[in-house]
Amino acid sequence: MATVDMSGIRKTFGASVALEDFSLAIKSGELVCLLGPSGCGKTTALRILAGFERPDAGSVVVEGRDLSNDPPEKRQFGMVFQDYSLFPNMTARQNIDFGLKVQKRPSAERKEIIDRMIAVTALEPHADKFPHQMSGGQKQRVALARAIATSPKVLLLDEPLSALDAKVRETLRDEIRRLQLEIGVTTVFVTHDQHEALAIADRVGVMSAGRLEQLAPPRELYEHPTNAFVASFIGTVNRVQAVGADDGRWRVLGRSVVGSSPSTAGATNIAAVRPEQIAVDSVEGGAGVVESVSFLGPMTRVIIDDESYGRVFADIISADAAGLRPTERVRLRLRDDVQDVVLIGDAA
Amino acid sequence: MDEFVTTARSGVRPASLLKWAFLVGIALYFIVPMAAMARFGFQSVPTALLTPDKLFTGWSVSGLWDAMTDPRMLAGMKTSLLLVLFAILLNLVLLVPLAIVTEVRNPHLRPYLTALTLLPWVIPPIALVVGVAATFRATVPWFLASVFSLVPFYALWAMPFTYRALDAGLQAINARTLYEASRSMGASLWTIIFRVLLPNMRASMVAASCLTAAMVLGEFAFASLLLKNTLPTEMVIYQAKNPRGGLAFAIFIMVLTAVGLGLVVRSLRRRGLNIQTTGI
Repeated sequence: MATVDMSGIRKTFGASVALEDFSLAIKSGELVCLLGPSGCGKTTALRILAGFERPDAGSVVVEGRDLSNDPPEKRQFGMVFQDYSLFPNMTARQNIDFGLKVQKRPSAERKEIIDRMIAVTALEPHADKFPHQMSGGQKQRVALARAIATSPKVLLLDEPLSALDAKVRETLRDEIRRLQLEIGVTTVFVTHDQHEALAIADRVGVMSAGRLEQLAPPRELYEHPTNAFVASFIGTVNRVQAVGADDGRWRVLGRSVVGSSPSTAGATNIAAVRPEQIAVDSVEGGAGVVESVSFLGPMTRVIIDDESYGRVFADIISADAAGLRPTERVRLRLRDDVQDVVLIGDAA
Repeated sequence: MDEFVTTARSGVRPASLLKWAFLVGIALYFIVPMAAMARFGFQSVPTALLTPDKLFTGWSVSGLWDAMTDPRMLAGMKTSLLLVLFAILLNLVLLVPLAIVTEVRNPHLRPYLTALTLLPWVIPPIALVVGVAATFRATVPWFLASVFSLVPFYALWAMPFTYRALDAGLQAINARTLYEASRSMGASLWTIIFRVLLPNMRASMVAASCLTAAMVLGEFAFASLLLKNTLPTEMVIYQAKNPRGGLAFAIFIMVLTAVGLGLVVRSLRRRGLNIQTTGI
C-alpha cells in the first residue's frame, strides 16, 4: 500500500503537449480511474507513473520517496496492459512466476503465492495452458494475477478491458475491483469507458487535452461536474438556459433552483441538466414536440424538439412514458425533486 | 449462404476461370522446365530420343550417384555447409541484438534500419567484391585467402531476408509490450532478452536461418569472383564434364531444400507459430 503524488508534470512529444501541469494525489489503497477521450494524455500519465516515460518537468513521489528518476524495474509496480502481454513461451503458472523469480523468492514461497493467485483469479483449469490456448478474459486474468503476485506498491492498469467483449468486460471489471479491495493495493486504472470508471473507482479523474479537469468520486462527478467538458463527457447532459433572479436563485425550465454559483438579477447562464432530471407533460399547444420515444427497459428516453431549448433528452420511468407518442406536443419542466443545478458557463 | 456455396463450387464465374488459368499458367511455367530437367537428369536415354513415348524407360539415379560421390563435389558440399553454418551464426549474432534493441529501445529508428538492410541488394556483387577486396588486400591480405572470407559477404547478402524475418518475429510477439511488462516486474535487460525475447523469437530465428541457408547454398557470384570452391561453383565445373549427373544433382539439392523448408514451416506451425511469426 502506498500513496502516490504526481505533481506539476509536463510532457511533450515533439511539438505536441501530452500533459500540462498535471497533478494527481492518490491515497493509500485507493482506486483512481483516469478517464478521457483518446489523446487526452491519460496513458502518458500512467506511463510516466510506471517509469516508461520521463516527464519534462514535475515529480512522481510514492510513499514519500521521489521516484522521478527511477527506471520501471526499480519501482516495484505491477502493470496490466491492454493487449495482455503475456509471455507466449510460458504457461499461466510460469507467467505468474516470472516476477517472483526475478525477485529471487524461495521456491516454496513462490509456489504458495502462485497457487493463491490462481485460486483468487479462478484460473485453476487453465494454470498449465499457454497463452494461445486461452480466451481473452482468461489471458487478462493471468496478466492481473502476474501483476499482483509480486505484491506491488501500486497497480497500474492500462485499458485492461478494452480488447474484451461486453459480457467478459463487466465480469472482469467487478473481479478487478473485488481483488483490489481484498489486497488493498493502490491502483490507477486508465480507461476511455465512463461506465467502467464510474462503476469501480473510488475517484475518477477526467482528463482533456493533457489536463486533469476534475478528480472526484463518481457520484460527485456525475452530479456536480465543475465544467462543461466534464458535464458533457460523463453521461448525457442537456444545456439549457438559466436566468438569474434577485434572490440569488436561478430559473431553469420553469422552476427556481439553487445554482452552483449565485445569480444576479437578469444574469444568464447555461445549466447542465441530466435527462433524468426532466419531466415531460403532455400539453395541448406545448412548446416542445416529441421527436422519438425509445424504450430502454426501466427507463424510456424521449427526445423533444423544444422551441426555446432546442433538442432535449429526457429519461422518464417507463410506466410514466406509456402515453407519449412522436409528434405529440409537450411541455418540459425540471422534476420537483431537483433542488440545485450545475452551471457550466455564460450564455453570452 | 446456400446460393453462395453453389456459385463457388460450380466455378463457372469469369473471375474464377481467370484465377485458375493464372494458377495453371504459373504452375506450367515452373513444372515444364523441371520435368524436362528431371527427364534429362534421371533417364539414361540420349537427349535426341527423349520423346513422349519413352516417358517410362531407362530411369536411373546413376548420374546423381556419380555426382554425389565425386570428391570435388563432396569437398564443395562440405565447404558450403560450413559457410551456411558460419553465415547463419554471424548473421544472428549481428542482427538479433540489433533488431531487439531497435524494436524495444529505439523504435523510431526502425524505418531507417529497414531501408539500410536493403542496401546489400542495391549494390551488385561485383561492386561489393571489388570494393571489399581492394580494401582488404591492402590491409589484411590473409583474410581473402581463406574460403571463409565468403562468410561476411554471405551474411551481408542474406541480411535483407534475415532482418525482415527477425523484425516480423518481433512485431508478431509484440516485443515492446513484453519488454515493458518484464521491466515492470523488475527484470533486467539480460533477463528480458534471454528469458522472454529470445525464446519467443525461436521461430523467426529458424526462419531467418533457413533463408540464409537457401541463399548460401545457391550463391555463385561471390564465390566465383573470389575464386573459391563452393558447392555452386563445383556444380558448374562438374556439369561441364557430366551434364546429366550435374543436373540430377541440382534437382536433388532443390528438392532437398524445398522439403527441408517445408518441414521447418510445418514443425513451427505445429507449435502454434504461424507465417506472421516467422516471416516465411
